[in-house]
Amino acid sequence: MKKVALIVVILCGAILIHATSEFPKWGEINSPASLHVSPYYIKYSVEQTDVPNIVTSVLADYRGFDTMFETTVIFCAGLACFLLLRIFNDKEEETESIFYRHIPSGIIIEFKNHEVDIRDEDFELIDSKFVPYDLIIKTVCRILIPFIQIFALYVVAHGDFSPGGGFQGGVILGASIILLAISFNLKTAIEKISEKTLGVLSAIGVFIYAGIGCLCLILKGHFLDYGKLAKILPIDPVKARAIGMLGVEIGVAITVMAVMIIIYINIASQGKHQEGL
Amino acid sequence: MHILINSIVIGLLFIGLIFFTGGTLGILRMPDFYTRLHPAGKLDTMGLMSFVFAFCIYNLEHLTWDSLIVSLKMLLIVFFVSLSSPTATHAIVDAGIRAGLKPWTKKNKEG
Repeated sequence: MKKVALIVVILCGAILIHATSEFPKWGEINSPASLHVSPYYIKYSVEQTDVPNIVTSVLADYRGFDTMFETTVIFCAGLACFLLLRIFNDKEEETESIFYRHIPSGIIIEFKNHEVDIRDEDFELIDSKFVPYDLIIKTVCRILIPFIQIFALYVVAHGDFSPGGGFQGGVILGASIILLAISFNLKTAIEKISEKTLGVLSAIGVFIYAGIGCLCLILKGHFLDYGKLAKILPIDPVKARAIGMLGVEIGVAITVMAVMIIIYINIASQGKHQEGL
Repeated sequence: MHILINSIVIGLLFIGLIFFTGGTLGILRMPDFYTRLHPAGKLDTMGLMSFVFAFCIYNLEHLTWDSLIVSLKMLLIVFFVSLSSPTATHAIVDAGIRAGLKPWTKKNKEG
């Protein structure tokens, strides 16, 4: 079975590599992309979408479908990680082990009996969960995390003016919670933002994106045609496109943040959500 | 004024370069995990600090409100790096000690 899979993978790869030979060359002036597509974006993107950053307008408006399904792919990655790794079997509680390290040799001894108590100068009790308790790290992370989150919100909100956007901002937001989980412990992070909340948030992000698209359908436009939002917002259609893009970016950020944390928690605790790094 | 600013900038860049070179050499040549972390931490804080100070001063040559804001943002980078980089080094060393890795000494060269 593995050999069949390998052959299929190699064949697919060969077909894909063969297909790339038909692509226009890198930087080719006469390729369709340079002749028709890029000049159109450069010429009209500001007057059509009122977004100074062309990359954002291409990503979230002209190619909104692409970005929507990218977000869906990220949601599916989180879902797959949850389904593959999560273990709900809490009944078989393993007997808590106690670890001692023999200081001169560095050997670590594990005791499965609870009532071991070695008071020898050569032995040192080690935290069985291997959670470092460290005042310096905790304090610095407590100072840094709010700044990281503010910067993430800045990146999300500023996506249409400067480099940035939903994906990057979401990753930074997720990283701030992961930093909390690393510097304190996993339980603190899960108390702050529970598993259910994360699941709901990861779906809400995709829902916001698709919902804005459907709202445009209801307002008698095309799917993701943000200009039609001007019918319910007190602004002109061009400004409405910028607002629509901002809404979409927020949806992307929420999904990316939740999925980052889901993947981290499931991998770090091997699906048990109890202990971990 | 122009020459003064330029010479300050060049001097700061040179100091940063010395620190970066020394740090890189240290990472490559030091004998064990803990000693290698030491130049890595120095490189991040002191090397980057003098580099960014140089950029700040160079940016302030044409003094306007915008360039002042940009320089302040650069100083914020220095602040956060000098806050987080030593902490990260500390955390890595702590993890190494907890995992039982013994420091290198002249007698015990396995480290």
